[in-house]
Amino acid sequence: MRVGVEVGGTFTDLVVVQGDEVSVVKVPSTPAQPDVGAINALDAARIEYGDIVDLVHGSTVATNAVLERKGGNVGVLVTRGMRDVLALQRHDRTSIYDLNYRKPSPVVERRQILEIDERIGADGSVVRPPDERALRRTIANFISEGAYDAIAICFLNSYIDPGHERLVAKIVNAVAPEVVVTCSVDVVAEFREYERTSTTVLAAYVQPAIERYLARLVSTADERGFSGRFSIMQSNGGRMPAHAMAQNAVSALYSGPAAGVVGAIGIASKLGFDNIITLDMGGTSTDVSLVVGGEPQLSAQTRIDGLPVRTPVIDIATVGAGGGSIAWVDDGGLLRVGPQSAGASPGPASYGRGGTLPTVTDAHLIRGTLQARSFLGGTMQVDVQMAHDAYADLATRLGLSIRDLADAVVRIAEANIVRAIQQVSTERGHDPRDFVLVPFGGAGSLHAARVAEELGIDKIVVPHNAGVLSAVGLLASDYVHHRSRTERTLLEASSISKIRSTLNQLKTEAGEYLVAQGVDGALGFEPTLEMRYVGQAFEVSVPVNGEIDALDVESLAAAFAQAHQRVFEFSKPPDKAVEIVTFRMGARAATGSVPVFRAPMVDAAAADDAEHIDVTENGDCFTCGLVTREDLGNSPAVGPLLLEDGTSTIYIPSNWSAIRNAENHLILEAKD
Amino acid sequence: MALHNVDQAIIHQALLAASYEMGVKLIRSAHSPIVREAQDCSAAIISAAGDVVAQAELTAIQLGSISATLAPCLELYPAQSLGERDFFISNDPFSNGQHVPDIFIFTPAFFEGELIGFIATVAHHIDMGGGAPGLNPEAGDVHQEGLIIPPSRYSLDRDWHGGPLERLIAANVRMPEATIGDINAQFAANSIGAKRLTALARRYGADDLKLAMDEMLDYTERRIRAAIELLPDGRYCADAQLDNDGQSDDPVLIHTQVDIEGDSIKIRFDGSAPQVPTNLNSPIASTIAAAVACAKSVLTDPDIPFNDGASRVIDVDAPVGSILNPTRPAAVRARLLANHRVFNAVMNALEQVCPERVIAEGFDSTTPVCLSHLGESGYNIYLEILGGGYGAGSANDGCDAVDCPLSNCANIPVESLEMDYDFLRIENYGLVENSGGAGRQRGGLGFERVYRVLKDNVTFATYSDRFDTPARGINGGEPGGLASMTVVRGDEQIALTSKCGFDLQKDDLLVVRTGGGGGYGAPAERNPDEHRHDVEQGLVSRGS
Repeated sequence: MRVGVEVGGTFTDLVVVQGDEVSVVKVPSTPAQPDVGAINALDAARIEYGDIVDLVHGSTVATNAVLERKGGNVGVLVTRGMRDVLALQRHDRTSIYDLNYRKPSPVVERRQILEIDERIGADGSVVRPPDERALRRTIANFISEGAYDAIAICFLNSYIDPGHERLVAKIVNAVAPEVVVTCSVDVVAEFREYERTSTTVLAAYVQPAIERYLARLVSTADERGFSGRFSIMQSNGGRMPAHAMAQNAVSALYSGPAAGVVGAIGIASKLGFDNIITLDMGGTSTDVSLVVGGEPQLSAQTRIDGLPVRTPVIDIATVGAGGGSIAWVDDGGLLRVGPQSAGASPGPASYGRGGTLPTVTDAHLIRGTLQARSFLGGTMQVDVQMAHDAYADLATRLGLSIRDLADAVVRIAEANIVRAIQQVSTERGHDPRDFVLVPFGGAGSLHAARVAEELGIDKIVVPHNAGVLSAVGLLASDYVHHRSRTERTLLEASSISKIRSTLNQLKTEAGEYLVAQGVDGALGFEPTLEMRYVGQAFEVSVPVNGEIDALDVESLAAAFAQAHQRVFEFSKPPDKAVEIVTFRMGARAATGSVPVFRAPMVDAAAADDAEHIDVTENGDCFTCGLVTREDLGNSPAVGPLLLEDGTSTIYIPSNWSAIRNAENHLILEAKD
Repeated sequence: MALHNVDQAIIHQALLAASYEMGVKLIRSAHSPIVREAQDCSAAIISAAGDVVAQAELTAIQLGSISATLAPCLELYPAQSLGERDFFISNDPFSNGQHVPDIFIFTPAFFEGELIGFIATVAHHIDMGGGAPGLNPEAGDVHQEGLIIPPSRYSLDRDWHGGPLERLIAANVRMPEATIGDINAQFAANSIGAKRLTALARRYGADDLKLAMDEMLDYTERRIRAAIELLPDGRYCADAQLDNDGQSDDPVLIHTQVDIEGDSIKIRFDGSAPQVPTNLNSPIASTIAAAVACAKSVLTDPDIPFNDGASRVIDVDAPVGSILNPTRPAAVRARLLANHRVFNAVMNALEQVCPERVIAEGFDSTTPVCLSHLGESGYNIYLEILGGGYGAGSANDGCDAVDCPLSNCANIPVESLEMDYDFLRIENYGLVENSGGAGRQRGGLGFERVYRVLKDNVTFATYSDRFDTPARGINGGEPGGLASMTVVRGDEQIALTSKCGFDLQKDDLLVVRTGGGGGYGAPAERNPDEHRHDVEQGLVSRGS
């Protein structure tokens, strides 16, 4: 039996696969102690813990530890002269006219940072060696005074020579064996000291929270007879054995959205779609990401609470457009939607929980694209009149009918989503028309068709059980581990052997690491080079194809020029010098598989005798069929149709048609 | 005819997104650290009539006057004479440009043969020739500051990519690879902007796009007028001053007179110092940008997109021949110092109007550190922009160690700097304790950057301020700490002046300290917990 458990902010989802049988459970999350929700979900599924062979888990524990500042008590050791690296940050402002500008607040304070008298030069030479004897006492005092339970070490230029970090780590181990030590080179061996220090400190900071959480979860599961393999989802879209998370804690940030993307990839590739755009729309925001050739696009860096985290993450753009996003008119008379959200509490006005501000969900109820009586599968009472009341003032101010205003609000929310997709596609040099849209989350499929149209996309896949796609993604995920190293190397014939050997070395390290964590199975490798023209400061990621030992300068240069052209719309003549700045290696052990949902097939579309409702949409008023997934079969049903599907609703406009396939997934197509 | 609400909202946001994308890609594909790390550049989308409708909010001083720089180009070469591959270029301070290193490039955007707008980028270039690498602290006139390109029309196919203009520029600058690389990054960003603008014209039609662009100007105008209308009418005067002009020891006065009348505002600078013989003069475009940036920051929501709708409401001028509107051939490289005093003076005037919305003076003295070395493979020029502490607000402490209001440069990471400049090593980069002016709200702290010089024949050039006159506090808040620069040579300590050049030797230590911001409210009113916290963190000494 294989089980995926995803703890989200509101719900904890569980997917169980046993032989051909797939079942799904949704229970409320328990934010104060998320492991309780996870165990509740397992209990609710009524499964024998002893039968679980593979348990994959994703949670927001790491993310919340940072957002709520509930991580460990971390002491930080830095090179002399660098005590303020976390306070200085990058010296610029994200909002240039904000006179009251504040920098993002680091997770450690200034007094928790100790300068160590050591220095490595930019060329790797030792400028000043650390004085071991003196340091033993200084560090022992620092740790006992601060009562630290973790130490992060980040020295200047350690990415070239980690010797001093290793030496000082040994000293910490000797004087305070109970303290967990994290060296920056083990977290991210790349240049730019602020980003590396921030990442290392965050890793050390979330590690105790993750470890405590997992220990509680494992001990409860073990008591109940669990003895299978237990792994944890990472933000790069892969999983790691739970016991290895202590060293990879920072990779657990944002694992939930990553799991959703992996689930979408699993389902879409089985249908033969390798180029997809995922659209995960929830209550407060929408996450979108681009998948090329079945591979999620990775970004080398992300941010949490404004703080940089340098670790490969699935490149997800987030926009403040969700069901709870609030519609408003600014003082220049422009209609806006979000980023403020009514969230789950008080929620949209129609929920009757005290919310009075008009939201996207309220707009759908007014337009008719959500039906009050069947809201959330009929499990929830909503009041359409309260939605109307919430929009009355705005409608008067803008001189629009409430229904037209509601329609305008949905269209603006859709335009915001379109822009987020352009950010991960057009702005990265990919044409969205070459992609299939895969919506999920509560509201994704309601907007998918109009969003697709605006982008020129003519096909949409709405997965079965789209509401638990993250849990599906857990089971679909492979073991993944990334290694990187900054080693500035000119791309020329004389350096090709060094390029090959660096990649081979990273390959060995990454593979051996997975094996050492008890991962078995065939390993696959994904080398990437971060390259730039000599003189530039930012690198372009260039995936390396083919055998490492057969790499040559010409093909690498050509691959770089192509990647540069795609992003920046120019490349330079081939005689211009190119350098590799950072080498990356992803190692993957394929163990995941996508559960197959089976459904009885229906021969013809049953939409003809559907109930009809009045809808205002995209500026038109018309009657629209109201159907369920079961009403659809393998011959195309033509819109306009509103398809109620448990916790989500799918809108099929008049110029679209839909079929349901043997696995119960819906496929929407635009007519010509 | 008005455009549908929804289309207006969508085009509006799409133009803002396009200008932002241009800015980001310009930074990420540029070559010299002043653009790629320090982000000293801007990007804008301009209507066919020549009004800026959307801009990437990167560097305040370059915004607010982009259309003024385009105007002389259009006077010489009317829009209808432009072809698809033509472009305008200008860096002439006396034709509504900024200072010589800021090169503006404008390219026309067409849809179905019709001109639908212009795309603009401006970037600070590392070296434009002139009397010294990167920055000539001794320049007595603009000609010693580098190659001047007057407003001109060229053709990409004929004049660039190995053509005569590219060769002319390459021959006159000290780091041609970097400069040409950065200009190419500008062209690429412009072409991305044109592509996005054309796509919008295709989607919505050129007519609706034009309507939407016009409405964006009206929209910003409306929002700013609505904000100003709430203020009491009246004339508000105030001063700010620079330590000196770099030659004499006398302070240089900036005087402003702000007239608020109904829903518009007029800012004048009569009574300010005459133009100076050094490089502190501010071309009129920079003066306007600085005054408008201050008014916008204080009076309006950061959410209001900044475009030429603002200049219909905020009218700025300065007397010809003054330091804020100099005549040729005044040197202008260090204009940002004068511009920041414009910012301070306008802020001080507005303090009389809405004291809770202004902040105390900060370090507000954009300080370039230019270190250059001539080695066997040519010049290597390091240029970094340092800020300091922000002034405190009525309800917040000033931000520590951040770039000054009118510039917005990121630092160059120490590891990146040492990788690119083998003649330098950073020995300290930290906050300067006690440099924030005490107050109910504390001023932001300045910082220290300490450079070890690893080779002989390294030249240092800079301009800075607040070595003598600290940032003023508000309402009993104390002034911020002063700035200083020192060279430590063996046992000798050599104090440098705020505007200078200096030849460094191997093993010298250059210590640059920037100033802190002023406090807001009396120190006795400070929350004791906040004071204790500052002491615990070592930001403020015990007893102070």
